[in-house]
Amino acid sequence: MNFALLSLAIPLFSGLLLLLCGRALRTRITGFIAIASTLISLVCAWFALQEVAAAGTSLLLNLGGWETGLAIRMRLSSLSALLLLFTALMHLLIGLYAGLNRAGINRDFWALSCFLHGSLAALWLSADLFNLYITLELLGLTAVAMVALSGKKAYRPAAHYLILSLAASLFYLLGVALLYGRYGELDVLLLAPRTEADVTTRLALLLMTTGLMLKSALWPLHLWLPPAHASAPTAVSALLSGLVVKGPLYILWVLWSEVAPPALAQQIGPVLAIAGMIALTAGGLSAMRSPSIKTLVAYSTVAQLGYALMALGLLLTWQLPQMHIALWLFVIAHGLAKASLFLAAGEMQSSLGTRRVAGLRGATQTVPVAMFAFAVAGGSLIGLPPSGGFLAKWVLLEPLLSQPQNWPWALGVLLGTLVSAAYIFRVVALSFDRARINPPDINPDRVGHWLALLPALMVWGMALSGEWLIQLLAGGGV
Amino acid sequence: MTDTPLMTAIELYLTLGVAVFLLSLHGLMTLHDPIRRLIAVNLMGAGTFLVMVSLARRSEVPDPVLHALVVTGLVVAISATAFALRLIIAAHTEGGKQRDREDRNTEGGGKQPP
Amino acid sequence: MTLSWTTLLPVLIILSSLIPGLLIFATPEAAARRRITLNLTGVSLKLLLVGLMLAGVSQGLEFRFELTFLPGAQLVLQGDALALQFVALSSVLWLMTTIYAIAYLENSPLRSRFFGYFSLCVSTTVGLALAGNMITFLLFYELLTLATFPLVVHRGTPEALRAGRVYLAYTLGGGALLLMGIALLHSIAGTPDFVPGGYLTALADEHAFSLRIAFGLMILGLGVKAALVPLHGWLPQAMVAPAPVSALLHAVAVVKAGAFGIIRVVYDVYGIEATTLLSLTQPLMWLAAITIIFASIRALQQQDIKKRLAYSTVSQVSYITLGVSLVGPIAAVGAIVHLVHQGLMKVTLFFCAGNFAETLGIHKIQEMDGLGQRMPWSMAAFTVGALGMIGVPPIAGFISKWYLITGALEVNQQWVLLVLGGSALLNAAYFLPLIYRGWFRAPPAGGWHDNNFADQRLETHWMLLLPPLITALLSILVGVFAGTIFSPLGWSQFIVNREFGL
Repeated sequence: MNFALLSLAIPLFSGLLLLLCGRALRTRITGFIAIASTLISLVCAWFALQEVAAAGTSLLLNLGGWETGLAIRMRLSSLSALLLLFTALMHLLIGLYAGLNRAGINRDFWALSCFLHGSLAALWLSADLFNLYITLELLGLTAVAMVALSGKKAYRPAAHYLILSLAASLFYLLGVALLYGRYGELDVLLLAPRTEADVTTRLALLLMTTGLMLKSALWPLHLWLPPAHASAPTAVSALLSGLVVKGPLYILWVLWSEVAPPALAQQIGPVLAIAGMIALTAGGLSAMRSPSIKTLVAYSTVAQLGYALMALGLLLTWQLPQMHIALWLFVIAHGLAKASLFLAAGEMQSSLGTRRVAGLRGATQTVPVAMFAFAVAGGSLIGLPPSGGFLAKWVLLEPLLSQPQNWPWALGVLLGTLVSAAYIFRVVALSFDRARINPPDINPDRVGHWLALLPALMVWGMALSGEWLIQLLAGGGV
Repeated sequence: MTDTPLMTAIELYLTLGVAVFLLSLHGLMTLHDPIRRLIAVNLMGAGTFLVMVSLARRSEVPDPVLHALVVTGLVVAISATAFALRLIIAAHTEGGKQRDREDRNTEGGGKQPP
Repeated sequence: MTLSWTTLLPVLIILSSLIPGLLIFATPEAAARRRITLNLTGVSLKLLLVGLMLAGVSQGLEFRFELTFLPGAQLVLQGDALALQFVALSSVLWLMTTIYAIAYLENSPLRSRFFGYFSLCVSTTVGLALAGNMITFLLFYELLTLATFPLVVHRGTPEALRAGRVYLAYTLGGGALLLMGIALLHSIAGTPDFVPGGYLTALADEHAFSLRIAFGLMILGLGVKAALVPLHGWLPQAMVAPAPVSALLHAVAVVKAGAFGIIRVVYDVYGIEATTLLSLTQPLMWLAAITIIFASIRALQQQDIKKRLAYSTVSQVSYITLGVSLVGPIAAVGAIVHLVHQGLMKVTLFFCAGNFAETLGIHKIQEMDGLGQRMPWSMAAFTVGALGMIGVPPIAGFISKWYLITGALEVNQQWVLLVLGGSALLNAAYFLPLIYRGWFRAPPAGGWHDNNFADQRLETHWMLLLPPLITALLSILVGVFAGTIFSPLGWSQFIVNREFGL
């Protein structure tokens, strides 16, 4: 547990440090501190994972040493340890990009990214509904501030994002209040055995679900995401799409698979799964039509979250452990792939001097590495073997196909695959155009392009550790 | 919980809280001006806090946990509102443009949430 | 798992083209010599390793490499006799195609990219051949799509891009269906290694419905690459690619990957017993028969040489499917040997068509008049390939057709004779006019469009001429020496003896 707390505290404190004396330091040093703290946090997360794997069960900590019931509790399960590791890894990869690419980044990025890391780590570790609300707010505020980093043109989408995010948090808070009013508990583990399927509980869960779905841009509450994510600086877009939307998703999972009574969960399951299927198709179609590169990538997030939502919905419907594994594999694979996709998109935008998809003509010649990163990451989103996306899809498909009555769901997955292939290859095919090539404005930044490729290679490498991941998620998934 | 008039008062406040929440939600969905929308969100917060405070009053000794939650929620709401106002103003005024220029000269961009 | 040379050999065979491929990507455009050295080193190394494995397998050695991947489904590379048939074919033809492509693309831009993907394409083909179970097969099947796409759109013209999009739409769609089929199969029976006779016989009764669906999905998925009608639409379009790519798509990699997959599914996954039990052979047979006749008729309508060859491929590859679906040992020999024979003959034809286009700018059939006078060697190789396709002895095509016919008679499917006879007539109808024009018509009065390489001693660049001559010679040799044990026919017999437990 100590390692997990360290993994949470180190980025939080370096965030504070950078906030207080960031102005006095040179930008390069600021970046160095942030990346170093991420690296240490990564190592701590790794040890935390070892610890929880050795214990074989999730570890609990009462903050401040108060007795259970009064204390705010933290929980380290193998899932939360894995998510800690994932968060640190994503921050490291994106931090390296932000620090080393030629365009550089606003110096405030570093403090904010540390805060983001800390609040996400706190979110994965919280086992208290109100504490989760606090982390959710922290996450939202930091995310908005990061969107605003790209200057005036982003203020409007940032403000819009903030207002929606606040509204969503209030939905969640009202639900928490109702649950507390009904049961007098905020602790997830104490609440879980007591919940009943009565009106208050239903209403509370409904409110919380609405808020969380809005926060993680799950269909049909996704409309705010594309403008917000597309207008942020490249590194921030990667963090937002790859990580931030996963936070509320985690709370949604905690809420329905632990807090809610199973009978209610089984009722909501199909609804969520259908919403996921629609998200896959609708998001994919929007991505296919999108004229700008970053909006395309942002819509692809909406679509890919459909997979996760579908896995969550089916997990609730059938209570199958495979769905739990599939859900988190999707989250991790999508995070890495999306980071690569956004970084590559951003690099291509700046090298080619265009925001439009049509401007990518001939990109395989002019910016080959960035385009390759885009294609490789896209391959994982489509779910081509042996990428991480394939791993997740395979685990999801297995139970869907074993019973003929479940086959319609498998059709949804098939549809999702085809639609993702369509929008990814729309870009890839254009990039091979040699007849109407779009020459680069500036000499492409080699380092930035290779750093954009790195997460994509990792997501394809996930296949090699597939068995380990699956066992980890199956063994101690709380 | 034997005091019937007290219960009705609480119920009244609960209903009021929910009504405020719903009304301002309606406002949020129909209004376009960002300031108005921000006010709507704040009213939603007021509704939520009203519900929480009335829930706390149900027992003879008011529930301190809920009060603590409300206080925390208020702090969050105030700071978020300040941040949102700054963003909205920056997006609308000439100052925004200046700020934009400053961004490029490595001076800070977005405001840190207090 | 102990690492010995028998476990590592399958991996080394893949790496022998993968690593040169990756190095070629990093080679500067101007460093032609380095690129050629890398290419040829890779090819020779691969041929050496394949030879080693051939020797090993005929001695009864087992080559197996495995890696954990998914629960219940490992990545397995296995060098069995059937795999080697395909590996040997693709390695030999890769050598020829590489030589050809070096000359064909001389002085054109983006050669590093081209040869990089070219090597990747062969690596994935070989991986697909060596795949030891369905998951591994799927993996390489999808990677093959990705590796060939850049080759199809290599020219980067709007037509090439259109063809590329069509190609992707078909192959990715097919890949998704194949994935569904394999996942369904996995949920019923897991994913064990390929075994002669299949592993589903015991389950055929209990899961008849699901197994039929899975078979349908997989055949649809494989049928896209094998260009079974009505899934063949991408192949004629993909003709816009450079000639070496067409040769690769038609003879070595893509189309063969589909056909090879069908062989694997029928023989080593379902097994002949289960396939018959589930009555899946008849639909497959009909599909193949329709494809053979329909594509031959379509070929007859084409005026573009490459398009005619493309439809001819659609028709000829279905001979393999037809032979497989006849489920008799003799027809099976015909099917498996046709994998090699069709490859040799078709690659010859494409090399020659490329030569005509490169040297004299000839693309249409009407322009072939008197070609034999200007380019006798290419025309001779073309003639050998075309006659072989028709089935004239002793060229390779005759052997396959002979086995298919006797195989059909053996299992009492006389109507197949009609299909094969009709197809032979149609083949003659669409190939003989080309031969006739080439040899017996007078050259056009105004000369040809282009007249490249006119000042050379040979009719064209020697590296363009050598590969078709060798493959033409090979297609005669494998026919003449069909009776020996190390001919493709002898090897196919060896495979079929194992499959049918003879």
